[in-house]
Amino acid sequence: MISLLNFLKKYGNVLLFLLLEAIAIYLLTVKPDYHKIQITRIVNASASVLQERLNLASDYFVLNEINQQLRKENTELKNRLERVYNTESLQTFEATDSIYRQKYVYVQARVVNNSVNKQKNYITLDKGKLEGISEDMAVIGPDGIVGLVVEAGKNYSVAMSALNLDFRLSARLSKNNYFGSLKWEGVDVNTMVLNEIPHHVSVEQGDTVETTGYSAYFPEGVMVGTVKAFNEGGGDFYDIDVELSTGFEKLNNVYVVINLEKNDQIEVEQKINTEQRR
Amino acid sequence: MLNDILKYTGLFIVLLAIQVLLMNNIQFSGYVNPYVYILFILLLPFEIPSWLVLLFSFATGLVIDVSSGTLGLHTAATVFAGFSRPWVLKLIAPHDGYETGDLPGIKTYGFRWFISYIIIITLLHHFALFYLEVFRFDYFFRTLLRVISSSGFTVLFIIIIQALIVRR
Repeated sequence: MISLLNFLKKYGNVLLFLLLEAIAIYLLTVKPDYHKIQITRIVNASASVLQERLNLASDYFVLNEINQQLRKENTELKNRLERVYNTESLQTFEATDSIYRQKYVYVQARVVNNSVNKQKNYITLDKGKLEGISEDMAVIGPDGIVGLVVEAGKNYSVAMSALNLDFRLSARLSKNNYFGSLKWEGVDVNTMVLNEIPHHVSVEQGDTVETTGYSAYFPEGVMVGTVKAFNEGGGDFYDIDVELSTGFEKLNNVYVVINLEKNDQIEVEQKINTEQRR
Repeated sequence: MLNDILKYTGLFIVLLAIQVLLMNNIQFSGYVNPYVYILFILLLPFEIPSWLVLLFSFATGLVIDVSSGTLGLHTAATVFAGFSRPWVLKLIAPHDGYETGDLPGIKTYGFRWFISYIIIITLLHHFALFYLEVFRFDYFFRTLLRVISSSGFTVLFIIIIQALIVRR
């Protein structure tokens, strides 16, 4: 008994240290699930309210900028509309049928919480399941890609920011449609890296990079950014630094993209996969 | 005793507010992430038992985690910092040891003692924190650079906060 007490006296602190570290590492490694987000949310309620107030206040200061952004977007959309109608009248076989086969629905959302200084950044949006948002939906902003929804609550949802080491997206050079895989390397808030573009493809500074739409989440042709620099990395592929068009530090208005045909696409793809396995 | 508890509770709340409302909003780059809340662990009295430091570290980390949505991350790093505190104190102890009743601070043992104390613990804490956050070895040197630059800012802010608040 005395030796046990002596042992505890001598190593008690180490044991306590190991126990507390074990609890912390356990908390760290369990997948962040909805309940955990909820708990954090409840405990954090006062801070969130304060945060929203602060956001509300700071919104006023950037009103001008947001207005300008919206005006620009409006013009772009009007131009696109013009193009659609023109194709319809000139080449009927290429008509875009916007009524009977709508593929995407855009839900407008506001960013209520956002970070860019971590390695795994997340964005909280003020819309959730009630507005039809669920997991694995793309989030885009007026200037380009933003992220992917990973958790949806009733009124709020959490999206993985493109500035997250775990974020992957297939993107292409818009001039020749060669595509590769896009990821963030955790350093620069304005730069992502595009890999898997072979050496024989011509790449130039300033080339536009956009999404491919091969995944069932992101629509095709959403702006990612422009080529800032590139070098012939190891192997047969370029490492291309892409200057992001979205300013992640001042995200405010974003759109969640609901793909109406997502389940269809995934179902068919899975069918093929299981058939191949046989 | 009661006075001390009140004093440290106040310190805790002030540091938490500074961390969550100011420091966490420095969205400048991955290289500037100061975590000044460890000042709470640094300023605990010398004669406080090690197990209590560990429990305080755990609680501090957990509160920070909950308010910044990173469950476990800060807890692990702060417990590590709290665990290393007695060793660091022993390592940099002045010639005639610490006097009972003294509190860690610039005034008690001079600026040089205080700055080495903060630098060592901040580096240990940030080292654990940033490597746990990345959780892979791909970015080893980049993470090391982040540890060092963020530690620099933390130390700077800690000195400012110490000068502004703690005296009262």
